[in-house]
Amino acid sequence: MAKRPLISVVDDDESVRESLPDLIREFGYEAHAFSSADEFLESDLVEQTNCLILDVAMPGRTGPELQRELTLRRQEIPIIFITAGRDDMVRPRLLARGAVECLFKPFGELDLLRALQTALGVS
Amino acid sequence: MLIAVSQPQKKTTKKISERQRALEQLQAQKDLLDLAQKAARAMAFDWYIQQEINTWSPQQEELYGLAPGTFDGTYESWKRLVHPKDWPLVVEALRHAQETGDIAVEYRVVWPDGTTHWLAANGQMFFDSEGKPFRMVGFTADVTARKVVEEKLQRSAAFLTQAQHLSSTGSFAWRASTSDQFAWSDELYRIFDLDRTTPITIEHIRARVHPDDVKLFDKTIDEARATGSDFELQHRLLMPDNSIKYLRVVAQAIHDHDGQLEYIAAVQDITERHLSEGAIDKARSELAHVTRVMSLGALTASIAHEVNQPLSGIITNASTCLRMLDAEPPNVDGARETTRRTIRDAHRASDVITRLRALFGHKNAIAESVDLNEITYEVIALLRNELQRNHVKVQFEVTSDLPPVTADRIQLQQVILNLVQNASDAMAGVHDRPKQLVIKTERDESDGVRLSVQDCGAGVEPDTIEKLFQPFFTTKSNGMGIGLSVSRSIIDSHHGRLWAAPNEGPGATFSFFIPPSKGELEE
Repeated sequence: MAKRPLISVVDDDESVRESLPDLIREFGYEAHAFSSADEFLESDLVEQTNCLILDVAMPGRTGPELQRELTLRRQEIPIIFITAGRDDMVRPRLLARGAVECLFKPFGELDLLRALQTALGVS
Repeated sequence: MLIAVSQPQKKTTKKISERQRALEQLQAQKDLLDLAQKAARAMAFDWYIQQEINTWSPQQEELYGLAPGTFDGTYESWKRLVHPKDWPLVVEALRHAQETGDIAVEYRVVWPDGTTHWLAANGQMFFDSEGKPFRMVGFTADVTARKVVEEKLQRSAAFLTQAQHLSSTGSFAWRASTSDQFAWSDELYRIFDLDRTTPITIEHIRARVHPDDVKLFDKTIDEARATGSDFELQHRLLMPDNSIKYLRVVAQAIHDHDGQLEYIAAVQDITERHLSEGAIDKARSELAHVTRVMSLGALTASIAHEVNQPLSGIITNASTCLRMLDAEPPNVDGARETTRRTIRDAHRASDVITRLRALFGHKNAIAESVDLNEITYEVIALLRNELQRNHVKVQFEVTSDLPPVTADRIQLQQVILNLVQNASDAMAGVHDRPKQLVIKTERDESDGVRLSVQDCGAGVEPDTIEKLFQPFFTTKSNGMGIGLSVSRSIIDSHHGRLWAAPNEGPGATFSFFIPPSKGELEE
């Protein structure tokens, strides 16, 4: 049996950390949640993560800052940003920096599934 | 013989005494002349023009700064004494005297010590049988002091004209009691755009007054005539080119020697100020609008962020729940858990709204002793221009000697401001009746205070009254439905009550009650 892709979720909001991994598992992927950028960086799951679902605004290191840090570490993980603030300027900026997708909370499961499939290169 | 001798002797004595008397008379006349000269500060001259004999009294020489007896009486010597710039004036006066016989001229003389003095010469020219001038007699007076005053007066008149022009202020004197005599300053002619030669009458002025202000103008003029008391008036002018000027008139009543009423008035053209005030008002209301829009934007973003977090959880959990139930076999335990989380997140969303509302109502409340009348006056003053612009007439029915209440002054003013603005907005569509706004303060039976704001606008339906106080409920196209909800939470935090009731006639009345002071505000 092939190893299922690991999706890591980094969000300071607890309800997201609780709910999102369950849905991702329902999609058929592995999921793990982290409450901060540093918690993720310090874990041993960075190298195994196939796709990162990353909150934009977080206390401490923000989503884009984590993205920059990963680029510096040459960890090329596809990233799906999620954000609760509906700032239309944010999305094009994040996509331009290499993000796969930027979803505004609350997002539908199909949007998330499509973004994950793009990130994982599944058609 | 004796008799014969005594006769001529007597004659001689008689002659001598006649001469003596004549001399005495002459001396008396000379004394009188000297006295007159002294009194008038004017010295005589007697000039036999053809013989070049110009007899000057020592006092006359004094006027030219000369020592007594040093003037040789020649025309050339005289010419040298006169200021070169004024000599042509003198020549012209002499020429004129040859035609009319009268001479009157004012000129400067330069004294040997270099100082300049003003002299005024007045006299008469006499002609010989051939009609040639042969003698001129007259008086010269030193008028330096008068000239200095005149120059000062001229300068200050010039200053006044300049100042009037710079400040766009004209002035007039008006003899109101008799036949409407006006004296206008140049600037006033300019303000009214009337020719300086126009004789001014009330009708001239009235013709320029803006048609909407004529009534006010007439009333003021009639009162001024009748009472003779000072008055102030602001009115508009409708100029021939249809432009409008705003004038402010301040008039002071005085009475001349005959007891006749005269007004001395200043008229300021305040058009520019008026326009800039209008511009400031507009900017202020735009700023207020922008602030409102901005805070609405900020609020929306804040609400969106706060609410989107739990909403996101709700949707994700519900999606998961469906997938778990759709699975074969269904994951009922998982579904139960995600549903539980869904409910919890929905409560979180609801809490956000509650917190938001609380945030508005209790922002740094400061308890102090507040006079409800005073803070209401302040709010009315703050809104005066806006209300005027909306043609809202405010009637403030004050109950004096209200007991002070312990309250947050700014918060209460926010409530009053909100109620008054709402009332004004409610009357925006009223055109068939005056937009009357009645603000009333009262003492409550319990020694608390009550304020009510009564409008005659669209009114409220009895079944929507309570909804008005719910957050985000609005009847206005540009409102966000926060004002009354926040107002109610402010009044609640003061242990008071805020309510609304439809009027018997058109409109609604919003009132609040603040109980007597007990101390702390609720946090």
